[in-house]
Amino acid sequence: MVYEVFARKSRGEPLRHIGNLNAPDDDFARVYAYNTYDEEKWFDMWVVPRDRLVEVFNRGDGEAPESEARKDAQRGAAAATSGA
Amino acid sequence: MHSAALPRPRRGREMSTVETALPEALRNGVRDLVLVLADSKRLLGMRYAEWMLGAPELEASIACSSMAQDEWGHARLLYALLRDFGEDVQHLEHGREAEDYRNIEALDRAPESWPGVVALNALVDTALTTQLDALRGSSYAPLRQRVGKLLEEERFHGAHAAAWIKRMARSGPQARAAMAAALQEVLPCVLRWFGPAAPRTSLAAAGVVDAEGDALRARFIERVRPLFEELGLTAVVPAPDFNGFDEARRRCTRTGPDAVTLARVRGDKNRAFLMD
Repeated sequence: MVYEVFARKSRGEPLRHIGNLNAPDDDFARVYAYNTYDEEKWFDMWVVPRDRLVEVFNRGDGEAPESEARKDAQRGAAAATSGA
Repeated sequence: MHSAALPRPRRGREMSTVETALPEALRNGVRDLVLVLADSKRLLGMRYAEWMLGAPELEASIACSSMAQDEWGHARLLYALLRDFGEDVQHLEHGREAEDYRNIEALDRAPESWPGVVALNALVDTALTTQLDALRGSSYAPLRQRVGKLLEEERFHGAHAAAWIKRMARSGPQARAAMAAALQEVLPCVLRWFGPAAPRTSLAAAGVVDAEGDALRARFIERVRPLFEELGLTAVVPAPDFNGFDEARRRCTRTGPDAVTLARVRGDKNRAFLMD
């Protein structure tokens, strides 16, 4: 299952999408998110299964919302493609 | 707590003179404990690093890499503390023979399978963290000041082990049996590592640790019990066999890590590149 990872630098800042990862359940997703994205000093970090993201609207041609963000993600890209 | 037992240093470089002022037996006890922790973390980091390319999935490899970095960082910090005890850190890290290493014996040889690594992650890592946790309010200031950061970095090590054990427990009889066997192989050594019921030199009496011997072992058992229960292992915890146990080294055998491990941990291949 692909999880999207969100974090922010300080309280009050908007959550930012920082990448994604493959994990079989929430427990693994937590551990893997921490291990993969802990290089920076985050204030908090969240994971959500990609299939739980609900589309509101999409100006692209049916393009999944994470594909743009994925370009920015430094790591986890390989994992996302292999497991998606 | 117990701070009256040791003069409390003010800051920085003054520490070394204060540590020299510790009573001899206590001073040796603190030095032994720091070296045992440093050597164990150095080798545990190496065991994690060995699986950076062989773990069952990419994210687990990243986890191994991340945990290896944590353990190596902690080892380096702990070795550096030993300077205050007159030790030559360069020699400690690169110049010792196998029998001088005080790592927990479960790390002497590389595990052959992923369940073996998870067992080290679940039991050895947790034992070291349980020991560090007992130093949170230590009368030995250099450790007390650093232990919070170390424990914060250890936060997800136990969670990694627990997630894998749960996964193996639920993924068929073969994986389940392999995981159970790996845990049971490592457990006796880790239980013994906490030492006899009451150690000869009590660090708890001087407020260096807030628990030792049986009390600390009990804390460890409470931490890991759920992992065994996950696998349906609810048998009585075996009583450690202290025959031949050296309290200063926390080991029964004097042979130390095997030859391959020793060469890697000392960095024998890179000896020419060492700098002061």
